Amino acid sequence: MKLKLALAAFAAACAFALSGPAQAQDKPSCGANTGQAASGEPIIVGGIHGNAAPGDFSAATDAAAAYFKCVNANGGIHGRPVDYRVENDQWNPELAAQAAAKLVNDTDSVALVGNGSFIEMAVNAATYAKADIMVMAAGCAISECFETSNIVSTNQGPLPSNVGAAQYAQEELGAKNIACIGLNIPNNGIWSCQAVIDFMESRGGTGSMALLNPGAPDVNSALLEAVSSGADTILINQPAGLALAILKAAEEQDLRDQFNWIAPTPLYDLSVPDAVGEYWHGHVYVNAELAPFQVNGPDAQNWIKVMDGFANPEDPRDTFAQAGYLSAKFFTETMLAMDPADVGDRAKVSEAIRNIKGLKSDLMCGPYYVGNADFHMPNHAGYMVKIVKGGYEIVRECYQYDSPYFEKIIALEKEMGVQ
Amino acid sequence: MQRNLFHVTPSGWAGLAFAAFAFLVIPAVAGQLWLSVFTSASCFALAAAGVAFMYARLGMVSLTQVGLMGVGGWVMLRLNHAFHLPFEINLVISGLVTMMCGWVLALPALRLRGLYLALVTLMAAGGLEIIFATFQFPNGGDGFWGVKTGSAAPFARPWLAQTPEAYLRYTVLVVILGFLLIEAHRRLAPGRAWALIRRSEAAAMAAGVNIVLYKTWAFGISGLLGGVAGGLLAGSLGLLDDATFRASESVMLFALAVVGGARYWLGVVIAATLFRVLPALLNNWGVDADISYVIFGAGLLHAVITAPNGIAGQIHDLFGKRRKAEAGEKGAGDD
Repeated sequence: MKLKLALAAFAAACAFALSGPAQAQDKPSCGANTGQAASGEPIIVGGIHGNAAPGDFSAATDAAAAYFKCVNANGGIHGRPVDYRVENDQWNPELAAQAAAKLVNDTDSVALVGNGSFIEMAVNAATYAKADIMVMAAGCAISECFETSNIVSTNQGPLPSNVGAAQYAQEELGAKNIACIGLNIPNNGIWSCQAVIDFMESRGGTGSMALLNPGAPDVNSALLEAVSSGADTILINQPAGLALAILKAAEEQDLRDQFNWIAPTPLYDLSVPDAVGEYWHGHVYVNAELAPFQVNGPDAQNWIKVMDGFANPEDPRDTFAQAGYLSAKFFTETMLAMDPADVGDRAKVSEAIRNIKGLKSDLMCGPYYVGNADFHMPNHAGYMVKIVKGGYEIVRECYQYDSPYFEKIIALEKEMGVQ
Repeated sequence: MQRNLFHVTPSGWAGLAFAAFAFLVIPAVAGQLWLSVFTSASCFALAAAGVAFMYARLGMVSLTQVGLMGVGGWVMLRLNHAFHLPFEINLVISGLVTMMCGWVLALPALRLRGLYLALVTLMAAGGLEIIFATFQFPNGGDGFWGVKTGSAAPFARPWLAQTPEAYLRYTVLVVILGFLLIEAHRRLAPGRAWALIRRSEAAAMAAGVNIVLYKTWAFGISGLLGGVAGGLLAGSLGLLDDATFRASESVMLFALAVVGGARYWLGVVIAATLFRVLPALLNNWGVDADISYVIFGAGLLHAVITAPNGIAGQIHDLFGKRRKAEAGEKGAGDD
């Protein structure tokens, strides 16, 4: 009896000791962090994602929506809540144009945040420039995202992530010939696979690409094409769903030990290690565009708290969700630093976003900046991780990718004083 | 002959009134979202007019129309990036190229009819789908295919139509010209030849109709309209994607032309509205646009079971009955 009482008292003491601070720590930090719900006139912010076959790119807008909910519950932006409106382009150019027409031209939105798509940036880049609205994207997958004046993204996109993975394979795994399995989209798969081939040739190696039709992806054919190319390393440059299908097909043919297997960031998702199965544990190397979960800095922890508190349980916890959270956070910080009278003015908000310089987060290897340029790629350094049982193991900490593509970006950073 | 060519029927007056409304009022009052939706719908109305005319006048089923739109769009993009010619010249060339594609498609039509012809045209659409998916649409690159790695080069819209409002008006104007082209053909020698061919090829041949010429001519016009529609769509978006031109879209466009009523201009408008405006409306309401497929299915069942002339046919019959009733009352009054 005495023992039971003692245990109960100990448990109560532990609970008391842990409950207060733990509850305080469990609360995410968002925006002004006042703990009071915002009630002023809403500030309209848009977001466009692509969710249809062959891939779902809504993780970034889901995370941005969660962050804005958190901001609205914590004083909003100068007391005004964010009215975050999201449209789905369904991988269709017509719908992408309609989404931008609705969010940019028919609505007094001040900016777009968290965009993630394979289509919409190509269709709408001119619309954004004409309307002088800035897009703080987070799931950019095509070249227009990084080569136009009004779009800036917290994620890297396939080109840097592919080059980063190839660089690791060449330097650490002895890769001499990389076959890149990409989507047959000129500004996505071909653009990013060609950069890998160029990188390998610059290092005395070689490369090739096997392309999948996104409308009717035949993963077996693409895999066999990559296998027959004479490559020693296979780079799976695909959205997560297709990448998993390729790994499944490779497992059925027991190809694991004949190649090095590398991938860009879409395979960095908490659900992937279980999805690929034990066969692949320790054999697939993935480039992470943002900090892996075990880095666990303040922003990484806050992101998880925001997702747990304000997102749906089924929303992905992946790199794009991190990027969506970061875009929303940087946007909110920028708006909070503005004169409250200007936060509803699109032109002034666009100007404030262009003036972003040197924002830091433990989720990113380098600083986040925008600048007044015709191209933007603030994030071009990342981590390399290996899929292991239950998660990922970091095999290379933050490293800068080596490609002529980044020369003008680095020159701009030096000019802005952020390099 | 001249009087017949320019005679305007009550349905024609209604069509002209609707065209004036679409040209003058819709661009002035629609928001940017709906300008974009109506521009797409107008492009598909022109393509649907081609497929509907083939079905209504000749009884021939063409399931390649959206694929031909893709060909027109491909040519438009290729010319835009390669030669920097005026938009109108590119549009005319796009139409002429797809007209020739239509002639090629007409070759099997000389031997086949009904289901077999539909299957052949569907296979052609499938072939085009594979070509588009494999080679993609021109984006400013070099070589025959004109595809470059990375971002697309800018697209030059018509000088007269730089804004979304002006571009919708421009598209509507071209669609009106397309409708008038079909109507003019219907009222002249080709229309009479097609009517004979539709009833009986043997009778037409006995009457001295050149079946090869007129069948090929019909496919050419349908291809021309599809190609111009594709060129206009390319001008609207500045780029194209293979997903827009899948074979299944051609089947859907034909089915909706039947639902709308292939014999009437209103049927074509209904088909384009169902094809592009209804899904946008559902999207705008936050409802899954895939529900539109259920509505299309119900519409097709309705057309097959109770309305062989489609919704437009039912509306036409309704007005016809009213006119007859009014004439009857007037006649009784006169008595």
